[in-house]
Amino acid sequence: MSSHYEAPIRRPLIDGDKSYHDISVDVAAPVEGKANKLWWIAFSIALTAFLWGIGCIVYTIGTGIGVWGLNKTVGWAWDITNFVWWVGIGHAGTLISAVLLLFRQKWRMGINRSAEAMTIFSVIQAGLFPVIHMGRVWNAHFVLPLPNQFGTLWTNFNSPLLWDVFAISTYLSVSLVFWWTGLLPDFAMLRDRAIRPFQKKIYGLLSFGWTGRAKDWQRFEEVSLVLAGLATPLVLSVHTIVSFDFATSVIPGWHTTIFPPYFVAGAVFSGFAMVNTLLIIMRKVSNLEAYITEQHIELMNIVIMITGSIVGCAYITELFIAWYSGVEYEQYAFLNRATGPYWWAYLFMMSCNVFSPQFMWFKRLRTSITFSFIISIVVNIGMWFERFVIIVTSLHRDYLPSSWTMFSPTFVDIGIFIGTIGFFFVLFLLYARTFPVIAQAEVKSILKSSGEKYKKLRYGNHE
Amino acid sequence: MASNKKYWKSVEELNENSAIVDTLKHNEFPEEIPTDLFLGDKKNLEATSTTRRDFLKYVGFTTAAVTLASCEGPVVKSIPYIIKPNDIIPGVAEYYATTIADGFDFANVLVKVREGRPIKIEPNKDANGATNARVQASVLSLYDSHRLKGPKANSAEISWNEADQQIIAKLNEIKAAGLPIAVLTGTIASPSTKKLIAKLNETFENVAHVEYDAVSESAALDAFELMYGTRALPDYHLEKAEVIVSVGADFLGNWQGGGFEAGYSKGRVPTNGKMSRHIQFESNMSLSGANADKRMMVKPSEQIQTLIKLYQAVVNGVVSTESTPLNVAIQKAAAQLKTAGSKGIVLTGIQEKNAQILALAINKALNSEVLDVSATKNIRKGNDADVAQLIADMNEGKIGAVIIYNSNPVYTLPNSAAFVEGLKKVKLSVAFSMQDNETANAVQYTLATPHYLESWGDVEIKKGQFSLIQPTIKTLFNTRQFQDSLLAWTGSTATYYDFLKETWNAEILGGKSWNQALHDGVFTSDAAQSSAISLEVDVETAATELEAVKGSDLELELYVKIGLGDGQMANNPWLQEFPDPITRTSWDNYLTMSKADAIALGAVNNHVANGALNGSLVELTVNGVSEILPVLIQPGQAKGSLGLALGYGRKQGLKAEMQTGKNAYPFYKDFKNFQPNVTLKLSAGEHEFACVQLQNTLMGRGDIIKETTLETYNDNSLDPKHTWNKLPMVSLDHNEVEATSVDLWESFDRSIGHHFNLSIDLNACSGCGACVIACHAENNVPVVGKAEIRRSRDMHWLRIDRYYSHEEDFEGDNEVKENGKGAMGFKKAMDALEDPSENPSVAFQPVMCQHCNHAPCETVCPVAATSHGRQGQNQMAYNRCVGTRYCANNCPYKVRRFNWFEYPNNSKFDYHMNDDLGKMVLNPDVVVRSRGVMEKCSMCIQMTQATILKAKKEGRPVNTNEFETACSNACTAGAMVFGDVNKQEDTVKSLAEDKRAYHLLEHVGTKPNVVYHVKVRNTQEA
Repeated sequence: MSSHYEAPIRRPLIDGDKSYHDISVDVAAPVEGKANKLWWIAFSIALTAFLWGIGCIVYTIGTGIGVWGLNKTVGWAWDITNFVWWVGIGHAGTLISAVLLLFRQKWRMGINRSAEAMTIFSVIQAGLFPVIHMGRVWNAHFVLPLPNQFGTLWTNFNSPLLWDVFAISTYLSVSLVFWWTGLLPDFAMLRDRAIRPFQKKIYGLLSFGWTGRAKDWQRFEEVSLVLAGLATPLVLSVHTIVSFDFATSVIPGWHTTIFPPYFVAGAVFSGFAMVNTLLIIMRKVSNLEAYITEQHIELMNIVIMITGSIVGCAYITELFIAWYSGVEYEQYAFLNRATGPYWWAYLFMMSCNVFSPQFMWFKRLRTSITFSFIISIVVNIGMWFERFVIIVTSLHRDYLPSSWTMFSPTFVDIGIFIGTIGFFFVLFLLYARTFPVIAQAEVKSILKSSGEKYKKLRYGNHE
Repeated sequence: MASNKKYWKSVEELNENSAIVDTLKHNEFPEEIPTDLFLGDKKNLEATSTTRRDFLKYVGFTTAAVTLASCEGPVVKSIPYIIKPNDIIPGVAEYYATTIADGFDFANVLVKVREGRPIKIEPNKDANGATNARVQASVLSLYDSHRLKGPKANSAEISWNEADQQIIAKLNEIKAAGLPIAVLTGTIASPSTKKLIAKLNETFENVAHVEYDAVSESAALDAFELMYGTRALPDYHLEKAEVIVSVGADFLGNWQGGGFEAGYSKGRVPTNGKMSRHIQFESNMSLSGANADKRMMVKPSEQIQTLIKLYQAVVNGVVSTESTPLNVAIQKAAAQLKTAGSKGIVLTGIQEKNAQILALAINKALNSEVLDVSATKNIRKGNDADVAQLIADMNEGKIGAVIIYNSNPVYTLPNSAAFVEGLKKVKLSVAFSMQDNETANAVQYTLATPHYLESWGDVEIKKGQFSLIQPTIKTLFNTRQFQDSLLAWTGSTATYYDFLKETWNAEILGGKSWNQALHDGVFTSDAAQSSAISLEVDVETAATELEAVKGSDLELELYVKIGLGDGQMANNPWLQEFPDPITRTSWDNYLTMSKADAIALGAVNNHVANGALNGSLVELTVNGVSEILPVLIQPGQAKGSLGLALGYGRKQGLKAEMQTGKNAYPFYKDFKNFQPNVTLKLSAGEHEFACVQLQNTLMGRGDIIKETTLETYNDNSLDPKHTWNKLPMVSLDHNEVEATSVDLWESFDRSIGHHFNLSIDLNACSGCGACVIACHAENNVPVVGKAEIRRSRDMHWLRIDRYYSHEEDFEGDNEVKENGKGAMGFKKAMDALEDPSENPSVAFQPVMCQHCNHAPCETVCPVAATSHGRQGQNQMAYNRCVGTRYCANNCPYKVRRFNWFEYPNNSKFDYHMNDDLGKMVLNPDVVVRSRGVMEKCSMCIQMTQATILKAKKEGRPVNTNEFETACSNACTAGAMVFGDVNKQEDTVKSLAEDKRAYHLLEHVGTKPNVVYHVKVRNTQEA
């Protein structure tokens, strides 16, 4: 990706007076320096939460799913809510790295590394839930189409849950390969800068022997493009398939054809919010403001605003279709969703997902770092509630009123969720200290076209 | 397998005398093994890398590995028969006819015995046997680990010999002192036992036999004696009735010993355009009231007035023109009774002799052919006056000995304290008991008796109909029958079996075969038939006396639950977890109260975060007796009345989990189920209920329970498919077509082989729940306990949903829904529909797995653990299930049950599956599910397969109506019919095609194999 022409009115993507060397130094700084107190505090909190989560998982597997708050009517609640939530968050990474790559959006370069890392870490969290929600997790391999000696015993290819297995594992592997490919030149950079032999050895291994030859670069570019092509349909397919878990069922409130696009929009929405949450902190703590600029945040806020509005349209469409269908079960499901015993969850969902992103219409707000951070958190709370609302309010009052009941989580439900948040941050914090958090090789490629310094040299200071 | 084939190994073998072949034959190793070369060369040997230490390591490892490999898990030994008993074939069930007669339930039953273990009770249909929930559950009481395991004297173990000697000595002393001996028993309908008690009287003189029913029917017995000369209960052939008027009689519950649902249901299924009309006047919402066509809420004291008015109108023709709704209903009922004439019947549950006389007098005036006064029933004999007299005498020291059998008076007597005091004053107190109950702990000698499944005996349930009780297992503990003890005490060396056989041969069988009678379980004697005499009774005086019975603002009516009955089976987890058919609450008794009274008192019912129901606590005081009780707001409860179930609150000899509810017997003053002058005080705190159904109304979803009136049903001009049994329609290519005709899937050919259907007639189903327990027993359904029920995790494969209407009837609910136009209107309608009416219409619907031909559960299971069988069943492969619960989520009927925990062998669930003795009840044909798997109704596939196999072995096709499931077998009301729809002759075939037949949630397109029949209500008022 050689430098290209960029209009002078475009704002620079790299702020400040940066040279190639400066970029290397800035990116390598968190890896080469010592962790500060703040990092250790954050890491200990995350680790504690993670360990607590492991404790809860062990307790669940040792005792039975009964330690959760589920019942005969509500067979899924926090488990699948958390699963869909984490998968959704995992969408931003691929969208940023693959789709924006194909669309030649250069601004993705400052954030794609971390977005992809976030994707992988959150897909790991997501993948945990379908596994531990099984009553007999020790037989989890039954869901894989493994050749076996039980005659014709095979998995049921009709089941959306099986599609999930393939969708999630494909997504995770493609994302991982894509991420790692991008990491190769950057690991090589760290290797080359490393002073201690051990570090050198490790980064040498991680960089797969990257030498920086022209051939290396050529292959790198080709693989990136091919993987981007492969990953792009995945952005749409993964959450589409997750939504099939519900859409192909017969339960009013689940059985909805709008789900695939609505889920994908929701996923991008929550993923971008999570990227914002993480990067707003990271750019500050790791002194990367020059690379993850206000402009980046603003652009992401715009995506949040648009996807949030799409999701809002979907909510309203659902309500309209329920009314328009004339099916009383459908009508009741949505009436109950909005005004039933879980009205407060619906209200949370509506206000966090539909109303809060509308503030982003105002430039002052969407360029405000603090406000963006708050909204990014609010959006993810809202998206968690969206999944909770879809899953629980549809199940708890379905066809036969005799089976209607309520769901209330136990400390184990909550513990496992907190545990995955802990696990996510453990991974992310370790990543922030050991990985090149900015795709420096790519960023360097746009330094001359989009760097502030070079823009000034070229066009003078217009501001 | 040996083979004679010879294989050529080489061409050389063709040569007969080949040296090579010969050498090879004698030499195992054709080449020399170079042992010497290896071992002889010392240098070489030393050069090998295997040192001595290595060698030892290898030896050590090998030994350890071999030792480890030889270890195995704990071995559960199963010992084969050395000499196989003739009649036991492992894997094949034996059935024995016997009879339950525990003083509360009397029924001819069949006992299913597997490898010597009785595991299930079924009705003996050849003997008109019917089983209710308690009878079905009684098999589990056999395996109760808290049973008395041997005789005791003052709580110390003793041998039978010593006990006999001591007791006989004491009895002789008492005889010498000239004091009377009282034998206090529950109702004994056994001719041979009566004979033995008479024999006891011969030996020790002055023996008085007092019969006592915990739940008294004394008033009815006294009234009948007065009018027809014998102290017995009349029978009612409700199948003959056209008009049934019940004043406070829960005849579908336990009224006069119960057992009327078969006849009742027969008359309730519209045949030839006719069905009976049932009018109920009652205060508590009872099972009978819930099934009635018209139900009036009348508090107990007003029930008395109702009965009097009814009497005046029917017999004396005095028509009161008062325009109160109650009076209008009474007059209409009277008019209908008169029209029905001999096909009318009046039943009353008012425990007043005069009330019972009035009811009998009305029936007599109607010349009712429903009432059968000749074939009287002996299932209630208790005499309240005798019991009261006995207690008084005991306290005065007039009684020498009290021998208690088949009764737990210390728990059940309202004046139990006086009885316990009295017991201290008698010289000898003996209790024969199976359980370590309150009475067993209050007497000097506690003699352990066997369960009825371990006993011999006989019962004359109905006049001239003799039943035999035979043991189906050797006694589990060191127990001895009451009758054997009496024989021992009266100096006889015979066993009770000998005595019984002798008595039967001499007095009952009249030369017929004993073996045949034992095989059948019943014997009908022609000799005993005699027509009843009718005595003149001054009914007018009775009416006047009755009129004087005064009520009060707040009245209490004590009742008996279908599940726990009089409380003798309180240690039975199946019955404790059995949800009450009306309140759908398990593990509890409570004060039922009308909503108006609750609001006035400030008592509330509310749901906590997980949906479970909580209720306010109140202090109930009647006649100086107080108890803190939880309040359950009961739709249909007459204002100013309260209901409370007897049979709860037992503590002695019960597992901690089973000590549920509060004892209501102290309120049962003078054995009157109606107690006026009740005071209530709101108490602090809340009670936690365990309800299996939290939403009580149908929400206007008329397609779930379809209802119509008899008039509409009889109107042949209507096409049921588009009127009262509407098929859902969908639009296909812009044409309205029946939803069932549109199909996403390619259909299988289901016409080959067996295809099972289960038909459920909502008209015949009374909601009694016998099927629920039968299903429990047949399918090893776990008991989960109160806390888990509160978390909505009941495991019942078969449940009976109960719905209340919001309006007067369900049609009204549908209208409310239809009228809720627009978003706000719809919301308003739905909010309103959540509340049941003050006096709702009630509907029952048994729901189990619908075995959909297009099952939503099957498509979503990722591992294909649930899939469709060739015979229509939706099957579960438990071994394959990984427990994603997706199938349960996608089940529109919510019939799938998940094993949240390991229920067997788990000390947290201390019920029968966690107890070596209790496990003996498990059905070996059905696997016990482990934690983490989904389970559900299998349509008793083990039973259908056994039937097919049996026919195959006998080389015949399966007989007509031979297929059965546990629930259809238990349903004596005939509501559930199971069979093969590919067999023209099977009843279910025609039922599935009946014009009343419909599928539950037809519009979802699941194509179930369970068929329901539209409920028809007889709303004709004249």
